[in-house]
Amino acid sequence: MLSNTPGSPTLHSTAAMAVELTGITKRFGAFVANDGIDLAVRRGEIHAIIGENGAGKTTLMNILFGLLQPDEGSIRLNGEEIVIADPSVAIKAGLGMVHQHFKLVPSLSVADNVFLGMEIRRHGLIDHAAQVARTRELSKRFGLQVDPTERVGLLSVGIEQRIEILKVLVRGARTIILDEPTAVLTPQESRELFQTLRSFVAEGMTVIFISHHLEEVMDVSDTVTVLRNGRKVATRPTAELSKDELVRMMVGREVSFDRRPRASLHGDVVLEVKDLWARDDRLLPALRDASFTVRSGEVVGIAGVAGNGQTELAEVLSGLRPASHGVAWLKGQNLTALSPATIREAGLAHVPGDRMVRGVDRNASISANILMGRQHRAPWSRGGVLNWSAIGKNAETLIKDFDIRARGSGDAVKRLSGGNIQKVVLAREFTNGADFLLIDQPTRGVDIGAQEAIHDEIMRQRAAGRAILLISVQLDELAALADRILVMFNGRIMGEVAGDDADEERIGMMMAGVAAPEFATETAR
Amino acid sequence: MEILDKLINVALIAATLRTTAPILLVALGGSFTTKAGIFNIGLEGQMLVGAFFAVLGSIGTGSAFAGVACGVAAALVFALVFAILVVSFKANEVVVGLALNILAGGMTISLMKAIFGTRGSIVGHGIVGLPKVQLPGARDLLGSWAPLISGFTPLVYVAFIAVPLLVLCYNRTRLGLYIRVVGEKPEAAEALGISITRVRYTASLLCGLLAGLAGAHLSLGYITMFTENMSSGRGFMAVAILIFSNGDPLKVLAGCLLFGFADAFSLRLQTFGYPSYLVLTVPYVVALIALFALSYRARPRVIAETLESMRKLLSVDKSAEPGGKNPQ
Repeated sequence: MLSNTPGSPTLHSTAAMAVELTGITKRFGAFVANDGIDLAVRRGEIHAIIGENGAGKTTLMNILFGLLQPDEGSIRLNGEEIVIADPSVAIKAGLGMVHQHFKLVPSLSVADNVFLGMEIRRHGLIDHAAQVARTRELSKRFGLQVDPTERVGLLSVGIEQRIEILKVLVRGARTIILDEPTAVLTPQESRELFQTLRSFVAEGMTVIFISHHLEEVMDVSDTVTVLRNGRKVATRPTAELSKDELVRMMVGREVSFDRRPRASLHGDVVLEVKDLWARDDRLLPALRDASFTVRSGEVVGIAGVAGNGQTELAEVLSGLRPASHGVAWLKGQNLTALSPATIREAGLAHVPGDRMVRGVDRNASISANILMGRQHRAPWSRGGVLNWSAIGKNAETLIKDFDIRARGSGDAVKRLSGGNIQKVVLAREFTNGADFLLIDQPTRGVDIGAQEAIHDEIMRQRAAGRAILLISVQLDELAALADRILVMFNGRIMGEVAGDDADEERIGMMMAGVAAPEFATETAR
Repeated sequence: MEILDKLINVALIAATLRTTAPILLVALGGSFTTKAGIFNIGLEGQMLVGAFFAVLGSIGTGSAFAGVACGVAAALVFALVFAILVVSFKANEVVVGLALNILAGGMTISLMKAIFGTRGSIVGHGIVGLPKVQLPGARDLLGSWAPLISGFTPLVYVAFIAVPLLVLCYNRTRLGLYIRVVGEKPEAAEALGISITRVRYTASLLCGLLAGLAGAHLSLGYITMFTENMSSGRGFMAVAILIFSNGDPLKVLAGCLLFGFADAFSLRLQTFGYPSYLVLTVPYVVALIALFALSYRARPRVIAETLESMRKLLSVDKSAEPGGKNPQ
């Protein structure tokens, strides 16, 4: 079933280009997501497509895979012009796409998932044994380690991605598109993935991958295409490029990824967490025995793959989730016994990880969003009546201070871009005089320009003597900002690394749970 | 223990199988919709129209099997309407299900009045019931235990044979697999080009088929008559069983057997002169206890984890206050 794809490229044409897109334009209303993009991908290369959020990478790949139809432009595969009306056409033509969000069925086995939609049948019944054997064979051939009989629901995200790749392979793909494949992986898993990608290329296949991680693009790709604001900036061989050049092409100006300069100004302990435990929504322990301190003028980073207890930690500290036990003292007050409002009064500012859910009311104006949480205080209200002119003036000032790109303070937050919404949250949280800032994924889904501004603001808060707990899944962010980095795995703090000698290798090992082998057996939940 | 001997014997077990059959049929039907991700509260109504039209068909044609076919056809029409509203027009499944249940109740009463000029029940009128199947050789093989496998009406056999068939369907056939995928992860089905609409329609119709059989069994099985609201909550019991079994055929069977046994047992108790109102509550009390037992099962895990963390607390630091915040 592997070789029965009718348009199997190797059989037909000898063109050097696996994929050629010419003049692709895609509009969503007035917004132009792709503007006359040309893209040529040579057969047998790893081609990275890089750009900031909203640069049009995913749109372009969705067009190539038939999920979207271009308004203008044409597509050639292996030299032959083709109209990709829907994904089934793309699959027949030897394209395969691994999406950012996996689409696997938890209760089915790995092999069942791989063969879903093209089951091997004997006498009308599904032949599980044959599917398992086929899956095992493929996973061996490409170094994609999986146990074909295991249930998908029990597996980690990294393995789920391997299954998605196997799904694509089993459908006979010769050109594989991956949309931000490393976003959910540990550094080790990423490296394994890149090895697999190289083995594909070694077999004459073509890989296109979308990324906004400079490092991995530099490491793994043969050719880079940079997109910016829906246009192609350039396509260049990776070997000819430096990281700085790449960043310049992405943003159109210089951005530093280096560690922020800082003076040591550690003061008193503001937050002390001791033996803190908490359960997740399924009542399983998600945060296990966390103990650490944060001093004023210090940025403590929490690293870890998403879903290893960081969310629960943030929720306990902000009063949104009860602790099973243990204590967290905020300036001497045990906050595990307090409500979110009281904790905020006691000196917490919280930039939540999911800003659209807990950060803002998307339908309310910027002014109203900045007001939230202090509406009962003078000068914003008197005798239970809101003073909208003071509120609006304050919002206008903050819009200027935090460089929020909006038409005015009355703009509904949902009209803003992700980065500007985040700035609204920061403007509210950083100006309420709290001593302890709990900052969760401050730059998730934020473009590089806004990222810089947000990092600047965090460093300003540090200089002003705030105690900052910064939770992030992006190591470069932590390395740039944090004085100390704590690494979480499976709810536990695996270890600590000083920000000055943050070393991706060591942090990565801890993120994968390797640092403390005595806990490694507990990883299976 | 003479009383117990009289209570629990071969006849009781045979009666259990008999009373289990209709609820098992309808619950297995609901298993298809449950697995396909549709909360089908309309089982009761489908069963009721099945029962009514089975009687009508039986009177009209003089054949019990043609009657069953009529009942099934009527239930299929209901299932189709349900699917059109819920799958194609994305209406709320609870609202649609309830509406169809009410429609089924009212429609059967009106039609009864229009056709037979009576309310309450249809008896006689030449209704032909389903024959009992005497398995040849059963008596030689099992002796006095023969009533356990022989002498039931055909739909009882259908109900119990359907259980392994459904297991096979979900595990080894493409349709069964797709039904599970559509219910569990519709995005995955969509991405692979599996038509969610088509699978859900198929599941709804399969559900109608079995619910119709269940209804026909009620009115043509052991008693050949139709009464108002004849399904008397069996469809809802099936829904309860489906929620707790998640539609797994074997768990559905277990749940239905439990309910069927309680039903048969209460009938048995009545003959012993216990107050009938009390006795009739038995199946429902059993169902409540079963549900409680099932939901209680999740608790030991939580307790174990509390113990783990308590140990940690006691051994490490006596000065740290627990914070008094145990979720229990």
